[in-house]
Amino acid sequence: MNPFIERYSQLGWDYTETKMRESLWVNTSKIRVEELKARLEKKRIILKKIPFLEKGFLVESKRFSLSSTQEYLQGFFHMQEAASQLPVQALQPKGLVLDMCAAPGGKTAQIALQAEAVVALESQQKRMQALLNNLERLGIKNCIAYNIDARKFEGVEFDKILLDAPCSGNCAKDRRWFSKQTISNFEKNSKIQKELLSTAYDLLKEGGEILYSTCSLEPEENELVVDWAIKNLGLKTMKLDSYGSEGLTQIFNKKLSEEIKLCKRIWPSQTQGFFMAKLKK
Amino acid sequence: MQKNLAKPNPRILHGETKKMIQTFIQKFTQEKIEYTKIGSKYFLATKSLIQIKDKIKITPLLVGLYLGEEKEGKFAPSLALLEIIAKTSTNKVFIKDIGEMDFIYGKKLRSRHILKIEGETKVGFLKLIQNEHDENLGLGKISKEIKEGGTIIKNKMDRGDFLRREMD
Repeated sequence: MNPFIERYSQLGWDYTETKMRESLWVNTSKIRVEELKARLEKKRIILKKIPFLEKGFLVESKRFSLSSTQEYLQGFFHMQEAASQLPVQALQPKGLVLDMCAAPGGKTAQIALQAEAVVALESQQKRMQALLNNLERLGIKNCIAYNIDARKFEGVEFDKILLDAPCSGNCAKDRRWFSKQTISNFEKNSKIQKELLSTAYDLLKEGGEILYSTCSLEPEENELVVDWAIKNLGLKTMKLDSYGSEGLTQIFNKKLSEEIKLCKRIWPSQTQGFFMAKLKK
Repeated sequence: MQKNLAKPNPRILHGETKKMIQTFIQKFTQEKIEYTKIGSKYFLATKSLIQIKDKIKITPLLVGLYLGEEKEGKFAPSLALLEIIAKTSTNKVFIKDIGEMDFIYGKKLRSRHILKIEGETKVGFLKLIQNEHDENLGLGKISKEIKEGGTIIKNKMDRGDFLRREMD
C-alpha cells in the first residue's frame, strides 16, 4: 500500500482521488460582482458562488481559458484555488500587514484590498516577476515588494502577518505527488517553516496576529509546527471561523496541545488539501 | 489560445531625458501624477508607503503601483499608467468588440475596428486604445490618416502583455 495513504488513514482520512476545480475571486475595487458575472456569461463563462468564501467563485462552465479574457487582463478577477483564498479571509487584514512568501501574489493582492499597506517578500527571483505582474494587473497601489528570504528581513513591526509557508504540496494539486515526496522532505520543510514562524514572531507587534498556512496534508508541516510555536514562542492559537475540520491533536503516537483543535485542516474533497492556524502574540 | 499570442512590440516610447514620465503623461492629460523614482523605475506611492520604505535598509523592487521605467534614454510606460491617464484623457481611440482580441494579440487596428476617435488624428500621434466600456487596452500610434483607409493604428503595447509575461 502507498505509505502516504496509510498515514492519512491513521490520521482519519480515507484517501479519495480529487480533481482540482477552477476558482477565482472578484477584484471589487475594479468591478461589481454582478457586472463581472454578466460580462462573463455573455462569453458563456458561468460562475457559481463558493459558500464559504466572501468573494470566491467556482468556474462552472467555460469555452476557453479565462486568463485570455479581456476581464482577466483588466484585472477584474484573479484565478486562485478555493482553499488558497481562505487564509487572507481568516487573517482579516488591517493596518500594516506582512506577506512573508508572497509570489505569485494572489494572497498579497487580497490583503492589499483590505489593509492599509502590505509588505510582500519573495525569496525566489524567478517567482518575483509573477508577483509584480499580478499586482500591476490587479491595480494594487499599497504594496511594497522585496526580493529577500523572509528569514533575513528586519526593520518594521507589523499588525498582522501572513505566513503561507513553502511546503510539500498535496496529492490533489499534483498527480505525481506520491512519487516525488519522502518523509525526510517534510522534515526539511518543517525546519524552514519553524524558522519562518520564529521570524514572524520577531516582526509582529505585541497583540498582533499571524495566519500560518500550507497546502500540505502532512502533520510535520502543520500541527507539529504550530505545537512547536505554542511551546517555544509562546504564541496562542485563535478560533478560526472557516471551512475545514479541527486540527489534529493526536499525531500517530504523539499527543499535542489541545489548542491545536482551533486550527483548520482541509482534506481534499471540494478543494485541494490545506491547513491554517491563527496565532496571537 | 494563449500560445498564439504574438510577441509584443518593444515597450519603449520616445521621451525626454529629464522628467520623461511627465512628458509622456502630458501627451494625454493635464492631470498631475505624484510619482516616486527608484533607480530607473517610476511608482505611484502614498506617503505612508514611502515612510515604510525609508525604515527598511534594502531596496524594494516595487513601491505602490509601477508606472513605467527609463530604458536606453526613453520612457516605457506601464499598462497601469495607461489605465490611470485614460480616466482623464481625451486622446483616445475607442474600438469595437471585434477589434479587441486582435489588438491584445499585438495586431494593428484597421478602420473596420474603430468606433470613435477623440483628439488628434495626424500620423505619428500616440493614442490610448479603449474598448466599448472605456477600459484601456493599450497604446497605439496612428500610422495612416483615417481618410486614406487601410491600416490606421499600429500596436505599441497592449494588455495581452500580462499573458505573454506569464508564458515567459
